[in-house]
Order: sequence, then C-alpha cells, then structure tokens
Amino acid sequence: MHEFLAQLFNGIALGGIYALIALGYTMVYGIIGLINFAHGDVYTLGSFFALTIFTALGVSGELHGVALIVDVAIALIGAALLCGIVGVLIERLAYRRLRNAPRLAPLITAIGISFILENAMQIWKGPAPVPFPAVVPNPSIVIAGVAVGAQQFLLVGLAVVMMVALQLFIHNTRLGRAMRATAEDRDAAQLMGININKTIMLTFLIGSALAGVAGFVSGVYYQSTWFFNGFGAGLKAFTAAVLGGIGNIAGAMLGGFVIGIIESFATWKFGGQWSNVTVFAILILVLVFRPSGLLGEAVYERA
Amino acid sequence: MRLILATVALAALAACSGANNASTSKNTTTTTTAVTAAPSPVPSGQVVKIGIDLPLSGGDASVGISTEQGALLAVDEAQKEMPRGFTLQGEALDDSVQGVHNPEQGVSNVRSFISDAAVLAVVGPYNSNVARAEIPVTNAAGLAQIGPSVVADNLTIGPDAAQLRRANPSLNTFFRVCTTDSRQGSALAQFARSLGFKRAYIIDDNETYGLDLADRFEKDFANDGGSVLARDHLAKNTQDFKSLLLKVLAAKPDVVFFGGVTSTGGGLIRKQMFSVGLGKIAYMGGDGLADLATVAAGQADGSYYTLAAPNAEKLPAAQAFVKAYRTKYNADIGPYSANAYAAAQVAAAAIIRAIKNAHGEAERAAVVANVASTKLETPIGPISFDKYGDVTNPVLSLYGFKNGQSYFIRQIQLKL
Repeated sequence: MHEFLAQLFNGIALGGIYALIALGYTMVYGIIGLINFAHGDVYTLGSFFALTIFTALGVSGELHGVALIVDVAIALIGAALLCGIVGVLIERLAYRRLRNAPRLAPLITAIGISFILENAMQIWKGPAPVPFPAVVPNPSIVIAGVAVGAQQFLLVGLAVVMMVALQLFIHNTRLGRAMRATAEDRDAAQLMGININKTIMLTFLIGSALAGVAGFVSGVYYQSTWFFNGFGAGLKAFTAAVLGGIGNIAGAMLGGFVIGIIESFATWKFGGQWSNVTVFAILILVLVFRPSGLLGEAVYERA
Repeated sequence: MRLILATVALAALAACSGANNASTSKNTTTTTTAVTAAPSPVPSGQVVKIGIDLPLSGGDASVGISTEQGALLAVDEAQKEMPRGFTLQGEALDDSVQGVHNPEQGVSNVRSFISDAAVLAVVGPYNSNVARAEIPVTNAAGLAQIGPSVVADNLTIGPDAAQLRRANPSLNTFFRVCTTDSRQGSALAQFARSLGFKRAYIIDDNETYGLDLADRFEKDFANDGGSVLARDHLAKNTQDFKSLLLKVLAAKPDVVFFGGVTSTGGGLIRKQMFSVGLGKIAYMGGDGLADLATVAAGQADGSYYTLAAPNAEKLPAAQAFVKAYRTKYNADIGPYSANAYAAAQVAAAAIIRAIKNAHGEAERAAVVANVASTKLETPIGPISFDKYGDVTNPVLSLYGFKNGQSYFIRQIQLKL
C-alpha cells in the first residue's frame, strides 16, 4: 500500500507536467486543426529560458522568503513570456502561409521547426544534460505514511490553476469567444469581424506560454534539463491530448494525469523498459473503443 | 482519426532520426568490398609510415588531438631505432565530418592508407563505430590496425567480431591497447565487494554499451558473493525515473549500479536518487558516468566510475612519457595520449622487427604477425595480445566524486 501511494503521487506529479504541455497541443489543434510538433521543444526552451534567467539573477541554490517569490516569479513569467513570443514567431514563419495548404504541409514544417529548435538548443547549451539549480525548497509532507515533496503539490496545483484559468478565459472573455468562434468556423468568424490572424496568434502565445511554464516546472522539479527532453515529453503530452480528446481542454488535463499515473505504475510493476509500451498500448485500446478520446465527444466545446 | 494515425506515424519517423542525432550510434554497419591491393614490399632506403586515423576536428577534437600527439611522439622516439636507410613517419587523417566522427570517412582514410604502400600499420580510430566500419577493410588488406581507445566488446570477441573479419577469417589484423567496455563491469564488481557492498540493484539503459557493462557487473558481483536484488532497463527519452527509484528504495540496496551513459539517464538517476531518499546510497557505473558531475554537481558525491585505461599521470612507468609529452607539446596529456603512444610504440616495434627480419624489406604481413606476438614495455604497462587482439593484462582506473569533483582512487589490474 505504501509503495502504491508513493507511485501514485509520483505519477500525478509526472502527469501534471504532461498536462501542462498537452494544453498547448490541444489548444492549437482546437483552433486550426494543426498538430504543432514543435511544441515539445518549446517546452524544453522554457526550461532553458528559466535557467538563463536564474543565472542572470545570480541564483544558484535554494531560495527562501521574499527572494524565493520574487525570483521564481521573474523566471516563471519570463520563461512563459519568451516561449509565448517564440510560439508566435513559429506561427508567423512556419504556419501562417500554410494555413490553407493541405494539412500535411504545416505538419511537415512543424517537424522541421522541431529539429531546428532542438539543434539550436544543442548549440546554445551543449549536447549534454545541463544542471538546473535547486531553487525551490522541497520539504516533505507525510500523507498516509508516504513522504510527498512540497514541489509535487506546487506542480499539480499550478497545472490545475492553469487549466481552470484557461477554461474561464475561453468561456468568459471576448478574446476567448473569438477563439471559440474561430475554432468553429474560421470564415464565418472572419465575416463577423473577428481578426483571425490575431486570434490564432493569441492561441499560439497562450499555448507556448503554457509550455514555458511546464519547462520551468520541469527544470525546478528535476533540477536538470537537456536539449532533447522535449521530444519524449512532447510525444507523451501529445498522446495525453489525444487520449483525453484532442481539442478538449479538460481532456488534455485528464489525459496528462492518466498517462503520468500509468507510466509510474507500469515502471513499478513491469519495469522501466515497459513503461512506454504500456502507455501506448492503453492509448491504442482507448482509441479503438473511443476514437475521439476520453472526453472527446463534446465537439462544441472545442477550445 | 486518419490524421491522428498519420501524425503518430510521422512522429515515429521523427523519433528514429531524432534518436540518431542525439546519440553516437554504436552499431553502424557498413558493407565493404574487399580491397585487393597487394602492395609490393618497401625497398631499403625509403620512408615507411604509420597511418593515424582519429577525429581531429569538431566535438571530438580535444581528445582526438591529444591522442594524435601521443602517437606522433612515439613515432618520433622510434626514429632513432629504425634500421639504417629507413625513415619512420606518422601520417594523420581526420575522420570527423561536420564535427562528428564518421565511419564512412574513417573507411575512406583507411583506404587511402592501404593504397599508400609505405603505410605498414594504422593507429586508430578513436570511436568504436568507426572501428566497426574500418576493421573489415584493414582485415581484407592485411594491414595491422591498433586501436588506442575503442572499447566496444564485440570488435574483437564473438560472432560480431567474426563477421568483421569475414574477408580474411583466419587473419586477425585488429588489436587494441585499451581494455573493453564490459571489463569495467568486472573491475567495478571487484571494487564494490572490496567496499563491503552486499546488495546491488542494477539498472541499464538498454543500449549495447550499457547492457554489456551491466551484464558483466551482474555476473561478477554475484560470483564474488554479492547478491543482485533486481535488474531493470530504462525506457528511452524519459526524464522521470522516480517510479523506478521508488522500487529501488523498497529493495534496500547498498549500491545502485548503472550501465549506460550520463545522457541516457545516468545523470538524472543520480539526482533523483536524492529526491526519493536514496541519496546516501553509493552509485556506480563505467566511463559513461565520467561526466556525472556536470549534471549532478555536488550530488555526484558518493558515486564511482572506471575508465577502461590506466591513469597514466599516476603510473610510475609513464612518468618519462608524461614529461616528454609536456616538453614537446607544452600541454598535459589527454585521456588517451598514453594509450596512443603505446599503440604507436607497438606498431613501430613491429615494423622495425619486420624490416630487420626481412633484411631491409618491410611487408605488411610480417608487421601483422609481429604485432600479434608483441611483448613490449610501454608507459601503460607491459603489452601483449591474446588471439582476439585484446590485451592480456588489462589495467583500469577507478575514480570517485568528492565536492562535485572527480578524483582518482586507484588502478585496478584485472585477473583474467
């Protein structure tokens, strides 16, 4: 039981990171029907930005009190903002002109952008994993005999807050309504006076900023980053988005947590090398029986 | 739905190419056509050469150049022992393409050595995947090749090695002065037992190097009276090893052994050991963990690794070499300088014997036979080869981490 709970908590934390990345996949798909394969690399970029900001601030170890809040806020917001800008640039350079091209074209440019980002990051911080300072203290909290790090709560809390904020934004603001309208029928939305380019830019800004947040969180949580991290994490997060029902925000969240937990349990019960196999086997099973994913029926709710 | 399937397939494609980009592939196979050049013996009064094939530009240049310099120093020093009328030269070619060691370039370099009748032996390459491509070519040509640093097991032993020698199955032309990957596992098992560790949990990264290493450690640790609690393999492209480490924690090991390199999980595992409460447990691995501190910094403390070569800086026999190297190049020796020096010494000695025995003519076949029967004192110890071309007295060096810095512990001489 003890180990079961420990694995469960670990899986939830892991799932939180997948969920944050999956939100960006699902938003972009919801609006323009594009799988943005560069998204995983924007996530890695987020951790690189956060690391650079911490280095610039002179942070190399654990922070406390006001410094903790101020420095973490600067790095978190900075990483999110910079990633948001990168996302907007990617959209402008690689996707906008292909918006009306056959669907495969932007998919290929997305993969191209992914390779460009990976190699740029490899040049930037080198081919080896890079250490990330242990900025946030991680006192253990004991739940039912299992020690859970405070960071795990922060991570999951942050993911849930982001999802709720995103839902509220999309359903309760003018810009959110514009996004939903664009998702539903781009031409009609344009005829109603919605600026499509701006709306799609906003989608990329928010989605990439969320990847930046996820990158920041992963850096703090794993105290390490690597130019190639985004590939594996991005693929899992994409899977999470599909599992939850791509285009559905709550679904991305649910998918992320489900995949994190499955991965954790599969490693525990079947061994590390079977974790990916188990995750993708379950994905196949779910898609066979529910082709639109766990929460995918509610098409009208597409972000 | 169709779109999703298509994208998943594309992602899988990207996965393949991505993985190739990220890791130096250790299993490049290159089909080579037999080279049938049979150069005539070098007549008296001529230049004879030792070809040197190493990565001399790009990311591998720092180690490649210090290795090259070690070999060239040995060539210089052998000059005075050359029979009258012969001049020995080292000719170095770069096997890097766009900054990365490249098997095809290695093959092309070796072919150019083969077509130059003056080249009687080759020192190199640096990397195992380049060696895998080159061995069939030198084997077909009957040219002796001595590797200073290539440590993959299956270059010399087993069915893979036999496949590399298919052009000339009865003739072994490839030798190495370093030991092999998996012997590091033996050295580490011996060291772990000497520290009194009884319970080992073994993890590997599911790649050739890591599997060989972990297999050997597992076997030797158990034979030496230790108990192997469990063996686990990692999935690729993963960042989170906490689930696995929670399992390790429950097994209560004295030592966690990792077969693999820092970037396939070796670094993150050490860091995450601290977050699940395994921080005080010892951590061990092969030369793949030599750069552990760059990832784990202070958390590397309590970890140990081996290099498949002795630490020449600390070997009494190597002091003269270390000094000569410093005098000549005004720099400290690199990790494989001493090995390259020894490899070139072996080659030069074989060439000198060949010329003397043939009364002033040098033949490649005689050089190969002489290398095989080498008995030579070198800075890295006495060198002789077994029938596979591996050294018979492997010496490895053991290192640990203190305050986030690696430090030398001692040399380990393996009993075979």
